[in-house]
Amino acid sequence: MTVQERGAYRVIGQGIPRLDAADKVSGKAEYADDFHVPDTWYGAVVRAPVACGKLKSLSRDPAFDWSQVAVVTPEDIPGNNIVDMMGRDMPFIAHDEIQYLGEPLALVAAPSLHVAKQAAAHFKVDVEERPALLTLQEMVAVYKEDPAKLHKLSGQTIRKGDAASALKDADIVLEREYTAGHQEQLYIEPQGMVAIPERDGTMFIHGSMQCPYYINPELCETLDIPPEKLRVKQSAVGGAFGGKEEFPTLIAGYCALLALKTKRPIKMIYDRNQDILYSTKRHPSWSHYRVGVMKDGTIRAIECDFVLDGGAYTTLSPVVMYRGILHAAMGYRCENVSIDGHVYRTNTFPNGAFRGFGAPQALWAWESLIDELAAACGMTPDAFRLKNCLHEGDVTPTGGLLRDSVGSPEVLEKTLERCQFAEKWQQCSRGKSGERLWYGIGLSFFAHGSGFTGDGEARMKSKVALDLETRADGTPIVNVRVSSTEMGQGTGTILPQVAADALGIDVTHVDYPMPDTFKVPDSGPTVASRTAMVVGSTIYSAGQKMKADLESFVSETLFDGQPTELVENQFRAEYDNRSIPFVEGAAAYLASHGPFRVYDQFKLPDYVKWDQENFVGDAYPAYAWGCNVAEVEVDTLTCEFRVTKVTAFFDIGRILNPVLAMGQVQGGLIQALGYAMMEKLAIKAGKYDADRMQTYVIPTSVDGPEMDLHFVEYPWDHCQPGAKGVGEAPMDGLAPAIANALEAASGVRLRDLPLTPERLFEELSRSQRLTA
Amino acid sequence: MSTKTPTSFEEMDCAFPSSLAEALDLMADESTRGRPLAGGTDLMVQWESGVVNRPERSISVKGLPELMGISEAGDELVIGSGVTHMQLRSSDLVQKHVPSLAEAATTVGGFQIQTMGTVGGSVANASPAGDLAPSLLITEGRVVVANREREREIPVTEFWQGYRKIDLQPDELIIRFHLPKKSAESREYWRKLGPRRAQAISKVMGSCRGQVLDGQIQSFRVAIGSVAATCVRLTGIEEWLLNRPLNESTLAEVEKRVTEEVQPIDDIRSTADYRRWVTGRMVRGFLENWLEPA
Amino acid sequence: MSELHTIQTNINGKPVEASVPGRLLLSDFIREELRLTGTHVGCEHGVCGACTILYDGLPSRSCLMLAVQADGHEIVTVEGLASNGELHPLQEAFKAKHGLQCGYCTPGFLMTLVPFLAEHPDPDEATVRDAISGNLCRCTGYQSIVDATLLAARQMREKAGAVDGSEATS
Repeated sequence: MTVQERGAYRVIGQGIPRLDAADKVSGKAEYADDFHVPDTWYGAVVRAPVACGKLKSLSRDPAFDWSQVAVVTPEDIPGNNIVDMMGRDMPFIAHDEIQYLGEPLALVAAPSLHVAKQAAAHFKVDVEERPALLTLQEMVAVYKEDPAKLHKLSGQTIRKGDAASALKDADIVLEREYTAGHQEQLYIEPQGMVAIPERDGTMFIHGSMQCPYYINPELCETLDIPPEKLRVKQSAVGGAFGGKEEFPTLIAGYCALLALKTKRPIKMIYDRNQDILYSTKRHPSWSHYRVGVMKDGTIRAIECDFVLDGGAYTTLSPVVMYRGILHAAMGYRCENVSIDGHVYRTNTFPNGAFRGFGAPQALWAWESLIDELAAACGMTPDAFRLKNCLHEGDVTPTGGLLRDSVGSPEVLEKTLERCQFAEKWQQCSRGKSGERLWYGIGLSFFAHGSGFTGDGEARMKSKVALDLETRADGTPIVNVRVSSTEMGQGTGTILPQVAADALGIDVTHVDYPMPDTFKVPDSGPTVASRTAMVVGSTIYSAGQKMKADLESFVSETLFDGQPTELVENQFRAEYDNRSIPFVEGAAAYLASHGPFRVYDQFKLPDYVKWDQENFVGDAYPAYAWGCNVAEVEVDTLTCEFRVTKVTAFFDIGRILNPVLAMGQVQGGLIQALGYAMMEKLAIKAGKYDADRMQTYVIPTSVDGPEMDLHFVEYPWDHCQPGAKGVGEAPMDGLAPAIANALEAASGVRLRDLPLTPERLFEELSRSQRLTA
Repeated sequence: MSTKTPTSFEEMDCAFPSSLAEALDLMADESTRGRPLAGGTDLMVQWESGVVNRPERSISVKGLPELMGISEAGDELVIGSGVTHMQLRSSDLVQKHVPSLAEAATTVGGFQIQTMGTVGGSVANASPAGDLAPSLLITEGRVVVANREREREIPVTEFWQGYRKIDLQPDELIIRFHLPKKSAESREYWRKLGPRRAQAISKVMGSCRGQVLDGQIQSFRVAIGSVAATCVRLTGIEEWLLNRPLNESTLAEVEKRVTEEVQPIDDIRSTADYRRWVTGRMVRGFLENWLEPA
Repeated sequence: MSELHTIQTNINGKPVEASVPGRLLLSDFIREELRLTGTHVGCEHGVCGACTILYDGLPSRSCLMLAVQADGHEIVTVEGLASNGELHPLQEAFKAKHGLQCGYCTPGFLMTLVPFLAEHPDPDEATVRDAISGNLCRCTGYQSIVDATLLAARQMREKAGAVDGSEATS
């Protein structure tokens, strides 16, 4: 396979400015809290006072003035009191069992938020409290004793070859455990939603979300309304990172239930404290490996337990775990693989989607362990990876064949060369005493599955539409109609770029209106690094259809039936060289036929085979590949350390907009830096301790390292333009690269995230390597 | 949050005196007195989050002319309580005479907090993690407070009486600080360890002022924050160090002794064990600076 | 009950008179009363910087201020940056250099950087990073914001130079 040239693309591959930039720099973009709907009431949630227990009674304080307050309890729910997500085990409003602190017991609304909050505080809640299981550490302790004592939310295995016997043949077997804690998405715009009951019985949901077609249909069952009466529209979204994937269904549901009850618009905007306490987080994880290697560095067998702390209900946890186990032994050749994935209940808010979706947790452990395996074989980390890494034609842990567009080993080789890894590896301090600064360099290498896991894309059949319409000023415009959302990552710019090239027109003639389920088909959720690949390629084929139709119209009506091509913004007749601008031909079409819609639907290539029950086959249609190198400096006076430089190469397939793509990598790496080094949540009395922005600490502009970032382009061969997805891969590899660098610097290995001076101090004390 | 409008400061009124005299008049009478509000960078957060109950009334002292200004008076700097962190960090006088204070001010909150927050507010907030406290303590300066009738001076070392407890009567306001300048021969250092490199509440931080002559320690004062209920002077180690030679065996002993002198706690930002150890290391690090040319 | 205070202030160059309760936050006053919703609130606690406005020219966190504190003072919000329908050079540079993704933090960054550039017409990268360390962005990793600021500085210097030059020759 060779890297394809960019070929004839005119707009794809250009770093054009974001189409939404002007609105966003001038303060005009409308986020959920910016809507002004007259007569709006404000919602609040009555929350459970314990993390686990049985609700005995809920009553209102008679001394409070309830005349201006609407209350929704489970009895007021028109449909089923159930959130229609995986597991179907979560009630909208708890009515019996309480599974996490703050679980909704009732909803209230009032003309002012102040009154609503006061009302929420005037309920008397009588509960029988039970012992709660709160932390990953507690959960793992029980798991080690007897997994049957835990409440299992999901499980899945991967089996290839015979790992148990192969382990016996290995020269060296390493057994290791790694953990990672919660991570909060901390989008800067908190969760917010408005529900407006319309006269014709339609419920209009407008707000901050990633996936309009989650909310519809998920709310239909609860509200007992048909899908065609539930309209969901996205506002400008101030960051999401997975945090606005499944959660918005809940806040939309609270608003809609209150709107049904009051027959008024209801607004709910979480403050930061509520947002941190009562929305999803990245799942804490425990990875337990037994891996056998031969002295020459061959990986003989991999056994892995991958256990996630699911929080109180199932929600998306099974799929997060699936992605985790699919990445837990990925990247390297090995014939014998046995992975057990589990998700267990704890009594916290359900953990959920967050950029990377299980892969960062799995790769944190796996890429740390790769360094430990290399050392056990007496090999350097780079040599061990180069020996074992997957190439085109190799098979994955599930037996999937890497047919094409495989950026391995190129990303690995290029990164190693670029940062002079081998040379710098020799200079690492390895805990040498008497030095004020310790230097270390560390590496990670990984693949990230593009698109839905397993049979997801086959079931989803993403649908897209392109509308040729007339703008308010009378000129023709092609509108991209998809449910794929713009939340900062650039959907609203790259999809018009793709459509423009498919049509042969300038991107100025293409627009991306905010998704509205009354106007767009279901192109699927905006998750899983799938939008550029799956939705982008479907937009491309829709654009080609529209182009063919417009060409034949212009040919017949304006060019006397000559073959006509729409290229570089002109309809050109083949024989007499006549040409007219796109807008002229399109306007003629609109005048003659009216608005014109083209649909298309994504289809996986036939060669993608997947057995969902046994997890055998092609887990993903394609993979993005990445290699990260971190260089660290430890101040031996204080055990503080900083990442001084990150060098990285990514293969994300065809690059649609290089500046946007680079922005994804830069931002993702800094988010990964936070995950690796500073972001943490402990649970005190059932609550997250870091429940404000003062205490939940994310990187600032002066925390980042120097970054040397590059792409290699291995487009996905199945369809044009061949993007594979960039959203999540930058989140995957930095934590293990830093841990590996820290070991090279200090001589000790940290196996729990985040990596902090406190943990380094503890480990150095334990191994008596402290200078003092 | 816009929808939170109705809840913000629901039962609080705010008075805006235009002079110090007017402010002290309001403070003098129980019926008009209120919680003094300067930059609001601590109080507004505490009220909004419910950590501290909102008072019925607050008195804005922000920008009162009598509380502004940084000047010299002989061997002392006089700093108005209304001086902002931004003014502190940019002041040539502060940079020259109490350099650790200027440096500490650069680490308070973010840029926009520094333009609003004041020295007086930070001192009154009395957080053990208040970044200015160590540098004020090592000057052995005085806090001047006043009520309508009189002014009163309190040594900085006695002003913080316990966790968030200060020596201030209900009718008094903090007016200014008198801070003895460092001598030309002495040096100051500041260091802050936080979870990130900006906008950080410290795990441990501290300042020192000292003088070393011919390898012998002539004077040394050191104050550390975030290791006790208030920011603390480590008087034990200060006394022990006097007239000792600055060498490796002294430094090793300093680490050990400091570790025994502080009793920090575990909290959201760090662990007691780390804090104890790193305080010793920090004091060592301060002293090691004298081994380098100034 | 709180009494209402009459305040006279200047918002984006226009005089504004209003009656406000003593407790009302400046950020709420700007967003709710004036409907200038470009000033965003992300944390309510003075950490994220999204609500940054200019208060007498100084970048300040409007979520930590009271509306009454605007009395007699000048406020500029993101809506006041463009003049005569033309974006400020910094806004143009943010567009050109992708100095934003979700855009929620963007007004706060702009309001922090406009006075910064006035004081530091030729900043280096480290100075820019220090200047924006009181603003949190979760999307960009800050690099593109730094790049945009450096571009704006260059363009503003060039423009100032061109103006000076033309005056010198006329």
